[in-house]
Formats: sequence, structure tokens, C-alpha cells
Amino acid sequence: MTHDALSNRHPAVSFLFFMLAIGFGVVIQHPAYLLAGAVCAGSYYLLLNGRSGWRMICGLVPVFVLLSAINPLFNTYGATVLFCLFGRPFTLEALLYGMVISGMLVEMLLWFGCYSAVMTSDKFTSLFGNLIPALSLLLVMVLRMIPGFIRKAGQISGARKCIGKSASEESGVKERIADGMSVLSALMDWALEGSITTSDSMRARGYGSAPRTSFQIYHMTGQDWVLIACMATLATAVILGGEKTAAFSPEIRIAPLSFGFATYCILLLIPSALHIKEAIQWHISRSAI
Amino acid sequence: MKKSHIATLLIFLVCIPATLIFGSRLSGRWYYATSTLVVMELLIPFFMAFEGRKPQARELVILAVLCALAVAARVAIPIPGLKAIFGVIMIAGIAFGPESGFLVGAVSALASNFFYSQGPYTPWQMMAYGAGGMLAGFLFYGRRLPRKPLVMGVFGFLGVLFFVGPLLDTCTVFLAPITINFKNVMAIYLAGFPVNFSQAVGTFLVLSLLGKPMLEKLERIKIKYGMLRGMEKSA
Amino acid sequence: MAHFEIRNLTFSYPASDTGTALRDISLSIEKGEYVVLFGKSGSGKTTLLRHLKSVLTPYGRRSGTVFFNGIPLEQVSAYDQAAAIGYVMQNPDDQLVTDKVWHELAFGLESLGCDQKTMRARVAEMACYFGIQDWFHRDVASLSGGQKQLLNLASIMAMQPEVLILDEPTSQLDPIAASDFLNTVRKINLELGTTIIITEHRLEDILPNADRAVILDCGAIIADDTPSKIGKHLHDQNSDLFSAMPTPVRVFYGAYGRGECPLTVREGRTWLSHLFPESPQVKGLPAEPAKTPTAVPALSLKELWFRYEKNGADILRGVSAEIPTGSLYTIVGGNGAGKSTLLKTICGICRPYRGKIRICGKPAESIRPSELFHGCIAMLPQDPRSLFVKKTVRAELEEMSADQAQIDHVASLCQLTSLLESHPCDLSGGEQQRAALAKVLLTNPQILLLDEPTKGLDSFFKSAFAEILTSLKARGITIVMVSHDVEFCARYADLVSMFFDGQILTTDTPRRFFGSNSFYTTAANRMSRHIFSMAVTAEDVTALIAANREADLS
Repeated sequence: MTHDALSNRHPAVSFLFFMLAIGFGVVIQHPAYLLAGAVCAGSYYLLLNGRSGWRMICGLVPVFVLLSAINPLFNTYGATVLFCLFGRPFTLEALLYGMVISGMLVEMLLWFGCYSAVMTSDKFTSLFGNLIPALSLLLVMVLRMIPGFIRKAGQISGARKCIGKSASEESGVKERIADGMSVLSALMDWALEGSITTSDSMRARGYGSAPRTSFQIYHMTGQDWVLIACMATLATAVILGGEKTAAFSPEIRIAPLSFGFATYCILLLIPSALHIKEAIQWHISRSAI
Repeated sequence: MKKSHIATLLIFLVCIPATLIFGSRLSGRWYYATSTLVVMELLIPFFMAFEGRKPQARELVILAVLCALAVAARVAIPIPGLKAIFGVIMIAGIAFGPESGFLVGAVSALASNFFYSQGPYTPWQMMAYGAGGMLAGFLFYGRRLPRKPLVMGVFGFLGVLFFVGPLLDTCTVFLAPITINFKNVMAIYLAGFPVNFSQAVGTFLVLSLLGKPMLEKLERIKIKYGMLRGMEKSA
Repeated sequence: MAHFEIRNLTFSYPASDTGTALRDISLSIEKGEYVVLFGKSGSGKTTLLRHLKSVLTPYGRRSGTVFFNGIPLEQVSAYDQAAAIGYVMQNPDDQLVTDKVWHELAFGLESLGCDQKTMRARVAEMACYFGIQDWFHRDVASLSGGQKQLLNLASIMAMQPEVLILDEPTSQLDPIAASDFLNTVRKINLELGTTIIITEHRLEDILPNADRAVILDCGAIIADDTPSKIGKHLHDQNSDLFSAMPTPVRVFYGAYGRGECPLTVREGRTWLSHLFPESPQVKGLPAEPAKTPTAVPALSLKELWFRYEKNGADILRGVSAEIPTGSLYTIVGGNGAGKSTLLKTICGICRPYRGKIRICGKPAESIRPSELFHGCIAMLPQDPRSLFVKKTVRAELEEMSADQAQIDHVASLCQLTSLLESHPCDLSGGEQQRAALAKVLLTNPQILLLDEPTKGLDSFFKSAFAEILTSLKARGITIVMVSHDVEFCARYADLVSMFFDGQILTTDTPRRFFGSNSFYTTAANRMSRHIFSMAVTAEDVTALIAANREADLS
């Protein structure tokens, strides 16, 4: 996962890409665009996750089918009746609309899956470290504390179990709630005591004695700028490149494809293309040795 | 006028109306994109106010502890059938005021999604959790309402059932694979009711049983900080 | 000009009934000096150190002045102090601020507002100097305690301080990580000339490195001299602090040695060789009598196998042991070897997938959990704070038992009577340990499991703790203890077991066990093994020297 081309770029590049992909994804409801989006998202997801990615993709198919069926069950608009269920018409228009919106959701899930793998918390905070320094420091501190708190919660319930003070399987809901509350309460005491040391440690290292700067572990390279320029150009082309409307009520009206569709596909294929290009290059350079 | 105040005015008078006007002219599912943008713009004034305050180490650490505690309560503490996250966020609001309550809510929503997955719901969760903490702050901070276990518990119950829960459901409305009309929207809110109800019961329990002890703990630590605190602005 | 000059510093905390925390302290520390500050818990060590950095100075009534490079400290700006005076605290976890190693290294520089170029250079430099480059991109949560503390040190060194103040930096670390850490501090002092002011209770590791030792007692300096002479002051004053001195020092003065006092095992060996040029008449102590095995062992483990994950590595690989009733059974071994897992397996938190546990003769699986943890077995966790949920120690104890007489009894046994109304979080480490122990004892266990109970305790708390264990043993309670603390085991245990590679390899009485090891043994044994056999504590060696003197006289 760390050997992904987009992940190795500056976080601004990855962040811009995902904002564009997700932004277009939620707004454009043209079926062809959606299909292209889902395919590009799915293939990038597979490149990132390898074989385990198939499980997620296979799991999404029944989700898609189920969600698609909801809209026609609740809505009966449209002229083309496919069949009747419980005395209600099941229309093609409603079904198609359901499929489009479910497709949109599936596409979102895939893009956000990729986003979580690429935009790790440190990239997110370093991207915003200059813009919102106090808030991103707060977030970094929270992310530091969470694993420790979870471990401590486990220790506390383990320790309570060993003195017979924990709720076991046989005890009732009331005891289990009381036990959970005790763990939370003990965790809070422990955390607040620790916070005194943390704030001392921050002040001992000069926090608040001067305006803060933010250490950038990622640096913009020429290639990063080129990528950003490419994405911006492509995105403009998508916006200006023709009608992308599709309507399903009262009748189906889908705009014909135009120039914008091609640019949309190119834009969405950037991460996969970069990934494959680097994989091939690596292969060549290795066989050259 | 402070910088953050100007920004707030700008956002409410210019950015949000512009987003709404421009957003509604988009085709297709314009309402999810538009409403999410508005939600994000609503977050900005709170964040700017926090940045402008230049928080001290002590304040940052306590807020971070409360956020991490809220996330740990969502992820790790096994109380059957309920999550204590709303309870912790509301305690933050009650103890430190609406602004801090909002911040703790928003940051814990964002941070906990780093452990699950970010999704189209992230900005909405930040907004809804934050709003829960802020409401608690408005009602209890500065002793407007008595900080009695039962009062806090009932507030938590109502707040989650009729405020935080429906806010989260609004995100579902915009994302649901269904044509938006009055009947369908009502159906979605109704479908969310059982989940919100169980969360509300959980929050009632946390606030009524742990609310007071938690406030005492925070009070105690404030005193302890005061004792150990050095000369904050020495020479 | 002295680096730090403390003149007549007196301090007391507000609203405190404990009296003055510091009394008329005058101390001068030269540039590049390595000074050890030593005293019991509560003697004012931390309070004194905190007066050397304004942002950490506690509130209270104060007279006297601290000069830094000849300037009164309060006139040195917060910015200059942040960079020039580095301060490392006790707890490795809580000092960390950010979630990534690289960010933690840069934190201080960010606070000082350094530019990118400087930060990159300094961070890279520090990562290389401390050998951090391999884990530079890791989450801090994935580091070991020793790595965390090293990271805390590195992130302070990145600001290039002139003085490094360390407040018991290794008390939460295992012995190997602790000596690594102290070696790094030593290296900084030698290679960079950074002034070091350190408090520690592991004097064995640190005294030989130091230029000067300063002893505090009840907020006043009672001795200030070179390491080799400091023992004499304490011995002459008949101070109970003498018992915390390194083994060679205690043996030297215990045997009324003459000449230069040895500080290290090597010097101790040389000194003993001079004392006994020929083989001594009394060669060694008798081994302890083997304890007659009780009819039914309190605990019997047979071929236990355990792993956490189905495809993971085995942590326990056929552990077998018989633990006699009423004994103190200690298990020593390396870090992460699975000793704590063994305790968890014994009390049923982890289930072995093969093997049998018998508790007081009954198979463990036949005992219901509600019976097991009430009146049968109980465990004191490694961090005593895991057990505290209430506002006062008394409430903690009342959570366990309604019987007031029993509570009073256990409280007095654990020396808690004067602390009953305190908040558990306000107690010192040793007191927290005893409060947690009292809570555990209120379940009336027959078998008590202890996980590293002496971690972070100074030698005075340790001996108070040992006293309690002895009186528990006298009541027939069996104690199983996992520990890194070789000296404690040698002194107080009935049986010592070596745990390695998922198994218990050898079990023996302390003298036989440590007497036959040449590396994994006590300082006293390493120092004297070329002359005496089976001498494992300083008292043993002193007794043998005395016995030989008598034999020579007669």
C-alpha cells in the first residue's frame, strides 16, 4: 500500500484528486459518468488493496442490488410498468433512478476506501498544519492519545476481572452497564492525570513562547505541480464539456455523451495510470540489473 | 471587530447564500453536495474562533483528552447496546462552554473516522456531534440549568433523540437511494427513530450516572493544574 | 561562572500541611558537570528540579534565587529557557504530544518557530545520533517504553540545550532499556559537554558515571560530594539512605573497608581480591534448606501452551511448575518473554489451548469465575492505577468489602491508615501500589499474583512492600510474582524460576539459583563469585567477610 504512486506524491495532490473525484461523483447523475466513476474507483481500489480488495467489491454487488430495489418499492412514478408487486406497479423509471443513486453510493464507498488508504492522518494534518495550526495540533494529539486510551481501557477491564469486579457473561444488563461506567470513569481519571505531564512537556519544549511553525515532511516537487495543473485543466474541461444531465421522472431523458466524458475518464484514471506506470518502470529497472 | 467575527459574518451573509443559490442550479443530486458544502462552511467560524484564541497548552491537552475519551468510548468500552460518545461530548460542553463543546464533538467525529473510514457522512457527523456539545454548553455552562444528574440525563435523552439524531438522519436523507419527497423523507426519519432512541437512552444513562463524577474530576484537575502551574507568562 | 547557582532557596507549597518542601538549598553546578540528585520519594527532588525551569516551577511561597549563567532565572525569557534547559520527565507515554515519531522530534523546534531548513537539518541530525532513523515514520503508539523515552530525549536534544534535567527518567523502563537510556545520557555528557542534572533511584547504574552526588533529605541537602566519598557521609550519619547505595559501596562500608570506596562491580572485585589474596577460610554460605513440598501445591501447571492468535507464535510453550502453598515464588526473565501472559493464563484471562492448571488441587476449569476471584485467586496489575475508580482510598476499599473491620485491618497491614481520605491519584507510586494491593487483598485470595510490583519503586518503598509480602506469607497466602528485579528476588523470594522461550527452564532457591548463574545474577554475586560461593546479597558478602575475620583471629 505504501508503494502506490499517488500515495508517494505530496498530500495536496492526492487531496485535490479525491476532492475532484468525489465532488463530480456526487453531483453528476449521468449513468455513463457513474459507470466510468465506479470502474475507475474500483480498479484503483484493487490496485491499492490487492487480492483483499475483491472481497469488498464482491460485497458491494448485493448492496447495489438491494439499494436499487428500494426506490421502485416506495415510488410508483413513471410510465413503463415492469410488473406489479403487492398490487403496486414496479416502474422502469423508478428502478433506473434507484440504480443511479445506488451506483453513486457504491462509487462513493470505493473512492472513500481509496481515500482512507492514501490520505492517512499524518498527511491530512500536515496538509492543514499551516492553515489551521492549533486545530491540527489538537487533532494530532487526539490521534496520539486514542491508541493509548483503548489499550488502557482493556487493561482496566482486565485488572477488574482479576479482582472479581467485572461483569461476566452470566451477569445482567444492569451490572454490565455499571461495569462499563466504572471503566470509563477510571479511564478518565488516568487520562486527566497524564494530561498534566503532557501539558508540562509541551510548555517545557517552548509551546506558546513563540509563534509556531509547522514542520513539513512532504515537499512539493515539479512533478507535483505538473500533476496539479493537469488535474485542474481536466476538471475545467469536464465542467465545460457538454451536458451531463439525466432525468428519470416523469420520463427518461439522458443527455448524449460529449467531449467532457473523455476528459472525465482521463482525470479519474490518473492514479491507476501512475500506479501501473511506476510498477512497469520498477520491473524494467530491476530486470536491467 | 475581530478577524474571526468578520469571517463569521462573511460566511453567513455571502458564502452560504452563494452556495445555496449556485448549488440549487446544479443538475442532478445537487442537494447532497450543496448541503454538505453549507455544513462545512458552518464549521469554519468555530475553527477560526479557536485558532484566534491561541489556546494554551493546558486547554489543548484537556480538550484532546476529552476528544480521545469520546472516541475511546465509541470504539473500546463495551457497555451493552450503547455508546458513551455523546455523553462525553455533552460533558465537555457543560464543563467548558458551547465553543469547546462544539470543538470536542467535531474533532472526535473526525478523529474516530480515521479509525473506521472517512465517508460522505464525515462533515455531517462533525456538525451533528459538535452541535450536541454546543447545545449542552448553551444550556448548562454558566449555571443556566442546574447540573443535577436527572436534569443532565433528561437533557441528554432529548438532545440526542430530537436534535443530534435527526441532524445525522438528514445526511441519510440526502444520501438515500430514493426520490426525495415529503413521504419518503418522513419514512427515513421514522426509520432512524429506533437507533436514535437507543442512543438517547445510552446518553441518559451516561449523563445521569457519570455526569456529576466526571464534572468533579474535571474540577479537581483544574485545581491540580492551578497548583502545579508555573508562571505562565514569565518575563 | 557556575552554570546554575542556587542561593538559599526555600519553598513551601500553598495550603500544605507537610511543611516546607525545600529548606535553604544552596548549590552550584558547573558547566559540563554530571550531577546526581538522590533522596527518598517526597524528599523534594522533583520540586528542586522544577525550580530550574520557570515554566515548570510550582506555585507557593519561595525565598532565595536561582541564577542561570549568572542571570536570575526569572529574567531569562521563556523562549531562551525552552531551548537552553531541557527537561525529561518520568512517564515516557505522557510526555509525548504528537502521533508520529518525526513530528515529535520536530515539536520543540516548531514551538520555537524555527524555519524549515533548520528544522530539517536538526531533525535529521537527531534521528541519526539517537539511531531513530529506522522508526522515523512510525506511530509513537507502536514504540516500546524504552524507545518512547529515547524519543523524548531526542526531541529535547533537537533544541540543542546547554543543560539536561532528568527526573527519574528510567523508573518506568525495564533494566536493559534503562541502562541503554543512561548510556545515551552519558554519551551526550561526554561528547557534547551538556550539563546533566539527574535524579534516579537506580544508583548502581548511575553513580559511576557522575561527577558529583547530592543527597536530599526532607528538603535539605545533607551531603554533597564525589560519588566515591558520598557513601562515607551517609554511613557516618547513620542515615537510612545508605541502604540505597550500590552493592559495592554497602559491602565496603559494611565490612569497614579502608581506602578508596569501590563503585562498580569491577572495582568491588579488585577490592575483594586485595582483601583475600589467598582463598578464604569460610568459602560460602549454606544453601537455604529446601522447602518441604506441601501435600497439595497451591498451584500446579502442567504443559501449558498458549498463543494469542490462531496463526500467531506460541507465547507459552509447555510451561510446567509446582508452586508450594505459602511461598513467595518469583519468575524472572527477559522483556516480552511472556511472563505477564503466564500470569493471565493462571487466572483464566487467557485460556491455554493445551495443558492443565490445578488450583489448590482442583482443576481450574471446574471453578466458576465468581468463586475463582472471590477467596481463591487475585492479581495485582502492573499499573496499580488500573484498579482505581473512586474518589478516596476509603471508597476504593469499600467497593470491595462492606466489612469495616476487615477494611481497617487490611488498611493497617498495607500501611494506608493515614492515607484513607486521599484521592488515589494524588498518592505517590509506592503508596498507589499499596492501595491497589489492599484492594486486591479484600477479595481474600489464597493465591496472589503480582505483575512487576517493584517497577518504579525506590528502595524504601520496596522494603515496605516486602514487609507486607512477608506477613501475607505468614498467613499461608501463596504469592507468585513476575519481576525484572533480580536484587529483590534474591533477597525475599523462596523460589526463583527462569522463564525463557515460553518455558520455565530452572527453578531453585535464590542462593542456588543466582549462585550458579554468572551473568543473570545480582551485583553482590558478580562482585564476589571469584572468592565466595552462594553470596547473593550485600548482606551475605558482608557476613562472609566478617566470618573470615573472626576465623583469622581465632
